[in-house]
Amino acid sequence: MLTKFIKIILISFTIFNFTISAKSSDTIKIALIEPMSGPLAAIGLDLIEGMEFFAERINKSGGVLGGRHIEIIPFDNQMVAEKTIQQLRKVIDQDIRYVSQGVGSNHALNIIKTLKKHNKRNPGKEVMFLNHSAVTTAFTNELCDFYHFRFDANVDMKVAGLITKMASDPDVKKVYLINQNYAYGQSFQAAAQRLLPERAPHIEIVGDELIVPFGKILDFTPYIAKFTASGADTILTGNWGPDAARMITAGANAQLKVKYYSIYAGIPNAMNAMGSKISTFTPILQITESNENDPNHPEWLQEIEAEYTAFSNKSPYADRQRWMLDMFAAALEIAGTDDPTAVGFALEGMKSRGANGEVYMRAKDHQMHFDMVISHISENVEKTFVYNGENYGMGYKTDGWVNKEEITLPSTCEMKRPKNS
Amino acid sequence: MLNIIKSFSSWIIIALIAALLPMMFDSYFALTLLSKMGVLVIFTVAYNMLLGQGGMLSFGHAIYFGFAGYVSVHILNGIGGEIIPYFPIVLFPIIGAIVGASIGAIIGYLSTRRAGTAFAMISLGFCEMATAFTLIFVVFFNGEDGIQTDRVVGPEPMGISFGPQVEVYYLILFWTLLTVILMYLITKTPFGRMSNAVRDNPERAAFIGYNVRHVRWIAFTLSAMFAGAAGSLHAINYEHIGFESVSVVQSGQVLFMAFIGGVGHFLGPIIGAIGLTYLDSVLLDITEAWLLYLGVTFAVIVAFAPGGLAGLIVMHGPIARTNKSLLIGLIKPYLAAIGSSLTGIVGVIGIIEMLYFKSLISKGEGEIIIFWTEFNANGIFSWIIFIGLILGGIYLCKITYPKAKEGWDHAISVVKSEISL
Amino acid sequence: MDAILFNIFNGILYGMLLFMLSSGLTLIFGMMGVLNFAHASFFMLGAYFAYQISEFVGFYPALIIAPLLIAVIGAYVEKYGLRRVHKFGHVAELLFTFGLFYIIEEIVQMIWGKVPVGYHIPLSMDFSLFKIMGMSYPAYQMFTLAVSIGIFVGLFFVLAKTRAGLIIKAALTHPEIVSSLGHNVPRVFMVVFGLGCGLAGLAGVLAGNTLGTDPSMALFLGPIVFVVIVVGGLGSLKGALVASLLIGLMQTFAISLDYSLNNILEFLGFSVDLESLWRILIDITISQIAPILPYLLLVVMLIARPRGLFGTRDV
Repeated sequence: MLTKFIKIILISFTIFNFTISAKSSDTIKIALIEPMSGPLAAIGLDLIEGMEFFAERINKSGGVLGGRHIEIIPFDNQMVAEKTIQQLRKVIDQDIRYVSQGVGSNHALNIIKTLKKHNKRNPGKEVMFLNHSAVTTAFTNELCDFYHFRFDANVDMKVAGLITKMASDPDVKKVYLINQNYAYGQSFQAAAQRLLPERAPHIEIVGDELIVPFGKILDFTPYIAKFTASGADTILTGNWGPDAARMITAGANAQLKVKYYSIYAGIPNAMNAMGSKISTFTPILQITESNENDPNHPEWLQEIEAEYTAFSNKSPYADRQRWMLDMFAAALEIAGTDDPTAVGFALEGMKSRGANGEVYMRAKDHQMHFDMVISHISENVEKTFVYNGENYGMGYKTDGWVNKEEITLPSTCEMKRPKNS
Repeated sequence: MLNIIKSFSSWIIIALIAALLPMMFDSYFALTLLSKMGVLVIFTVAYNMLLGQGGMLSFGHAIYFGFAGYVSVHILNGIGGEIIPYFPIVLFPIIGAIVGASIGAIIGYLSTRRAGTAFAMISLGFCEMATAFTLIFVVFFNGEDGIQTDRVVGPEPMGISFGPQVEVYYLILFWTLLTVILMYLITKTPFGRMSNAVRDNPERAAFIGYNVRHVRWIAFTLSAMFAGAAGSLHAINYEHIGFESVSVVQSGQVLFMAFIGGVGHFLGPIIGAIGLTYLDSVLLDITEAWLLYLGVTFAVIVAFAPGGLAGLIVMHGPIARTNKSLLIGLIKPYLAAIGSSLTGIVGVIGIIEMLYFKSLISKGEGEIIIFWTEFNANGIFSWIIFIGLILGGIYLCKITYPKAKEGWDHAISVVKSEISL
Repeated sequence: MDAILFNIFNGILYGMLLFMLSSGLTLIFGMMGVLNFAHASFFMLGAYFAYQISEFVGFYPALIIAPLLIAVIGAYVEKYGLRRVHKFGHVAELLFTFGLFYIIEEIVQMIWGKVPVGYHIPLSMDFSLFKIMGMSYPAYQMFTLAVSIGIFVGLFFVLAKTRAGLIIKAALTHPEIVSSLGHNVPRVFMVVFGLGCGLAGLAGVLAGNTLGTDPSMALFLGPIVFVVIVVGGLGSLKGALVASLLIGLMQTFAISLDYSLNNILEFLGFSVDLESLWRILIDITISQIAPILPYLLLVVMLIARPRGLFGTRDV
């Protein structure tokens, strides 16, 4: 009885072929694999929206390669490694030659390794990875690959930027390092341990801690006690999500007066979660590529950002998506074809414009270089952050810039390059 | 001889169809999906040895699945790096089985001292611990990133390198058939029967003279062994293993599949594994609300059809055997009931999709694609249509459900009278 | 000495939070044997409801209204959902609550979005009450502590001294007899389930603003609650209290212990090659594994004494 049923199912399967077929239009497709459901869905969806906006801008002003449009095709990976690989296989099936991703470095690692194998096993059908936010330093060092381009600064660069600023900050004398105990947090810790004595030898490291990551720790008060006992005036941390929000909240509740130097502790989601009282209780500094409240913020960028806000009902945040798509479009034009190998050669060394001057893609390791701004959350800003129509009442106030030269670091990358036809 | 072939005819036909599937579905993604189905069929049937046949609810079965995967990946990498002598990929599930059985024996020894809810909680505790282990002991498990591997290693007998996905599919198909047949045969052995007896009435089984604890322990170990075999195939399929494969989420997934398929019948888990894997991979690209649908489906099945899909089908077995025309007579009222439910469901889905759309994306236009047609989420019209469908559906259900029930009662009473004759 | 006092005080604060969260579930689990996977979901709903209500009328009304709403919702879930499933056995009930967990999470996302919401401590209590070791404690935390102690005392009083409590306690251990004595046991179940959910909701109201209110709350907090009720013993309020405090103290002290096996070995005179493969095993400090300790405790307890510390029934 049951086996008959299974037979029927299998036969129906063969009849109804539900695989999603590729649209056969003449667009240049970029598959974007991000979490669209689950705890990090908000970040994923925002990034997808940003990409679509910047692609649309290019399409509206004439497209590329004689009027062809760039099409962003999102794929949900639910932050599960298996799904990322599965979606990647779907992408390959659909003959899409460009993949982008950024939320979760471990997924980027999967994509890099899977594409390495695929590109090796399928010459002529290479797929390129446009990495917009996965910051693991190794991706442009020992894991570098011709078909991988990173458009964000890596962990080491960001830590170098933070520490350079800390070195000239008179308030910073004793720093406590605290990070999440996984690949990203550990590399932050390693970079800090290496760069602090190099760039800021007068600063004393009074504590160095790794915590169990991803919201497992509910009560941060014991850590606050450790901070207090050590006499630290600054916390240098790579923490993000609840690991950052809870820590800072606990600190504020305990009236802990420290400065937070971080990468992700002040992202818009966190600002909202913590609220204005906590976000402005002590300075929460972060390092990004652009700040809409910067006194020297260029006019042309402000115009683009206004368009973005009209489109998405949000304040601008990730400027790197703009130059990623602009450079991609420019590379297509230079290469004259949509073949990833030619586009790759065109991207090497390419320059574009950023919020504080020129930005460029280093040819040696495919790592983007740009000036970075250190800012802190404040209520005294001209443009407060708006998200989906809700105004948070606070925004980012520039503390200073770090030049790209100051955060240019050596690379161990030895890339095998294909032949440039 | 002919009799054996006859009784196995259903299996043979299924095996043939499965072997021919790659002809119809030859894309990378489709083959990956089919391979995944095979792996999960093994895993779920193995899990059902514990749940359906042994009456033990475990939340920790992913431990054996995942750890077998980790060991397999390490060995594959060892072969690739020429640290370990070559071991044929075809035989890797044996490695997985050994790993699964070893760990299963240890944890089983500790867990089977208790039964019922205690057993379930112990398994939950172990699973959380195992997940934490994989995140902390980075040297072996590589934490968040998981471990990548390359399955194209060693000599290639008959030109089979397992690079192409279709070769992996056939490998998995072979092992799926082998392990499922083995597990089926186990249910026919005295041990299998004792496992059922222990499930139904442990006291009585003990009184007959069987050591209840030993029976459970052996069932546990066997179940873990097959789960381990599945785990190594999983690692080969994705060329990657991560902490998610050890987590409670993975255990929960296999529990879902077994239950929805139907734990009371041997083939239930197979249906569940195939069906849910398919939905899981295809749905998430169609809708963002798929988790909600999954949860609702699950709750509905648990509440109204706890025997799962297999249970529903087998329920009709007596009717089919007694008088085929009765079964055919049921088709009309069933179709009517299903049709009216679908009307309501379409309405509900439409509303949910639009709600999701409105809450998550606040772009200017309100176009959303539901059921392959475009609707405007901002216009009142779309909402009216779907609400109308819901109301219409409810009304229709009120008419058709009693008719369906009537038909069922009638058929059953005929069956009963035929039997008593 | 200061540090030890601090850790004790902190451990108690954290423990009482856990107790608030688990008190409801231990009653439900103890009485109905229902492993409610969605218990933490009601906690989350409580936080969200409180956020929404306090946007309109302020925190104090939210403190009363939100838990009541959750209790009512819980009662309805029991009456129309769980009761149907009850006859199919414990596994079915558990799976039903599994599905419920997903449903609640998705509905929350649909209504409030996927981003954390700005639910914050009410300004009226957002001042420092006193200081220990240079760290100040906001009045709000003391308020939370007071409420959780109040819950414990109140529940204890109801269960021990009132007639209703007597019936509930009897139904905990002998449901059939209670039923044959003429009490409406299904109604008792419904009330207890609603009460349990309401307690979870109250915990959500009080803790949502310090822990962060976002759709993944339930996922993070769920497992630890199970540890508490199993270790404490099913159906035992006293057990839940002791287990919560134990786990709270254990985790707080563990974080301050930066010692690893390495330190012990060094103390004993051995030096370990830090480059070896087993380095990681030895180098792990207790503070780094603090969050796993509760699960270790769970497993040990279930193997050694499945009744828990004060349980009246075997699990």
